[in-house]
Amino acid sequence: MSQVIESDVCIIGGGISAAMVAERLAEHTEASITVVEAGGRTASLEERTATRARMLAYGENPYPNDHIPGQTGTGEMYQSMVLGGAAMHWGGAVPRYSPEDFRVRSLYGVGYDWPITFDDLEPYYQEAEERMGVAGEQGPPEYDPRSRPYPMPPLPLSWNLERMREWTDAAGIPFWTQPWARNTEPWQGRNVCQRCDTCAVCPTGAKYTPDFAFDRLLAAARIRLYDRTLIRSLNLASGSDRIETAAGFHQDAPDQPVEFRARTFVLAAGHSWSSHLLLLSANSRFPNGLANSTDNVGRYMTGHWFASGFIELPMRLYPGIFPNNSLLSHRFASPGPLDRYLRHDIRLWESTVGREARLAADDGRVLWGDEVMADWRARTRSTATARIRSYYDVIPTPESRLTLDPGMRNAHGDPMPRIDYVAGQATLDLEPHTHETLLGRFDELARAAGGRMMSTRASRLFEHPGGGCRMGDDPATSVVDRWGRTHDHENLFVVGAPTIVSSGCANGTLTFCALSLMAAEEIAKS
Amino acid sequence: MAESRRTFLKQSAATVAVVSLPSCAPAGAESPDALAPATLRAVGEAVLPEELGADGRERAVAAFELWSEGLEPVAEMPHPYLVPVTVYTGPDPRPGWAAQLSGLDIESGKRFGASFAEVGVPERRRILEPHVRRAGPDFGRPGNAAHIAVALAAHFFASPIATDLCYGRAIAKQQCRGLAGAGDEPAPLPGAAS
Ligand SMILES: Cc1cc2nc3c(=O)[nH]c(=O)nc-3n(C[C@H](O)[C@H](O)[C@H](O)COP(=O)(O)OP(=O)(O)OC[C@H]3O[C@@H](n4cnc5c(N)ncnc54)[C@H](O)[C@@H]3O)c2cc1C
Ligand code: SF4
Repeated sequence: MSQVIESDVCIIGGGISAAMVAERLAEHTEASITVVEAGGRTASLEERTATRARMLAYGENPYPNDHIPGQTGTGEMYQSMVLGGAAMHWGGAVPRYSPEDFRVRSLYGVGYDWPITFDDLEPYYQEAEERMGVAGEQGPPEYDPRSRPYPMPPLPLSWNLERMREWTDAAGIPFWTQPWARNTEPWQGRNVCQRCDTCAVCPTGAKYTPDFAFDRLLAAARIRLYDRTLIRSLNLASGSDRIETAAGFHQDAPDQPVEFRARTFVLAAGHSWSSHLLLLSANSRFPNGLANSTDNVGRYMTGHWFASGFIELPMRLYPGIFPNNSLLSHRFASPGPLDRYLRHDIRLWESTVGREARLAADDGRVLWGDEVMADWRARTRSTATARIRSYYDVIPTPESRLTLDPGMRNAHGDPMPRIDYVAGQATLDLEPHTHETLLGRFDELARAAGGRMMSTRASRLFEHPGGGCRMGDDPATSVVDRWGRTHDHENLFVVGAPTIVSSGCANGTLTFCALSLMAAEEIAKS
Repeated sequence: MAESRRTFLKQSAATVAVVSLPSCAPAGAESPDALAPATLRAVGEAVLPEELGADGRERAVAAFELWSEGLEPVAEMPHPYLVPVTVYTGPDPRPGWAAQLSGLDIESGKRFGASFAEVGVPERRRILEPHVRRAGPDFGRPGNAAHIAVALAAHFFASPIATDLCYGRAIAKQQCRGLAGAGDEPAPLPGAAS
């Protein structure tokens, strides 16, 4: 016999997108809400001082056992399955996409337009920033459009970043402080940043992690949380396309099925597991998977690529003052008319690369004690290293795809996801031009400071991945509408990363959160 | 001048100790061979900067000992970004390091007719050189070091104290320092030439 749990809204997944939806519904409706998360809890705020210390000393995972053995796929995926999701580990860099991201087909003749504009999403960007607590510096409005100020003043630029900004000003490219989901003022009971510089695990609680939101909602008895509970299928009501149940089991009682019944189901399981669950839930009416009558589930998987490098600067910097802050420019994300398509951001950090203590000199001579120090000082006295990186927009394609992998199964025999990322032909055709332009810009910047490029690298990792359930007005080419409602099932929503049309050239999570809040507004109506 | 730098080093020793925590190894796990203290200190004299002074070197070696006691073999590491695998640190390096320390003694006896701790620093460096050369040019993580001499040096040179000494400034990396002062040039260390 199944254990049956009923609520008005059942949210599947306990990451940052789920946290946004749960909070908004809890505040704006009377609905009863369940959150079902496959993973358990990991290090609490109180435990993070100790796990941070072990991470620093021994390189250990500050969130031990934050994954489920055997529940893992192939391709670019997060290994974390835990309450809070990947955003337990995240750095908290939260730029918005640029208005151009939503209209690349109309403006540049490549890729796909979104069914919404930047202006449609803008209020939800602001709301997401307020919910997590974002500290930011207003950049030039043409490159950093917003209707209201950032919730908090920016993180201070370190002495190093101040020197670097003098350099970029001289180069004529506007840079401003990266916006962060890290507090510069007390926010929702959380501390101010203390510049501990281990933001993967923040010992003070200044960095937003979704567990804070869930704990608040639990304390107010506004949600019921079922963690360590993996949903294995979504099931239709008989004779209808409505979802009636989400079925799974608790990790501690794998033989006892748990069934969640709700009026509305919200799939907030991230970029890989959302499409996976829809495909896994195939039935006789939807033999290719739920929400998949037009064969779009799992397609248009996307992310941005990057080029990066290290620049030697002829100046003395002191690496370690605040390496977890950085400078950002969106000047080239809003480039105006273009002959050939390339939109990208630029980030700059202080770095120690090439300037660390070492065991042997350039000629191979072993260095001992004082010699190590002397060599180290010589390499840091009047030169420094900056790290530079540009994310650039990759054109999505339906061939970039998540499928079920019959050769890889979890402990229950379910096929696991396999993601074969592919970039659209336009991106591949433009790649030589893209690299030449980016490396040229890096080089120009380096030379503006009298410096030089030390090394460069091009990456085809699909960063801040999303897609698989892209939004659109036309059911023939999309899985959900602009609100995240699946075209096939009126009471099933998909939120966040899976619904994006393209991933622009900025870290994506703030956009995933804004989309989730926009969906929550529609869910509240039902 | 030298005295104020020593005072700074003494105060900073606590900082090193902070990152040296008790092991998470299960109770009853076999304790590794102890690292011979006298030989370890003799290695410290060969690989750590003399400018630390005897006290500073002693604190660096003691911090390493504390760190090594807390080391947990095959511990889970942070997941590589967007790679769905779980990765672990290596097996326990301490038995190997302990054997290396006794090997240094044996080799020193054979070469110079005295224990490693009894011979001079130049002789010690002659013995250590092939091991250090094999590891270089970068220190790498101390827990991955194939030789105890590299592990000890790597542990010290990765510390906030070493960075501050290199720059002659109170940078205090990875210490929770508050946001105020982030924009200031770090203060010179007392007595340091910057
Ligand atoms: C090291 C690191 C640094 C990062 N830094 C940044 C950054 O600075 N800026 C930025 O924008 N982004 C960053 N990211 C990315 C960011 O963390 C993710 O984009 C974001 O957390 C995704 O949130 P989500 O809610 O979409 O999905 P997830 O975090 O993946 O959450 C989905 C949750 O659903 C659960 N789930 C899945 N399937 C099921 C099921 N069948 N039943 C029940 N539960 C299920 C999972 O266990 C998971 O907890 C970083 C990521 C990492 C790993
Ligand atoms: S720098 Fe700030 S946000 Fe990062 S770990 Fe330290 S206190 Fe937390």
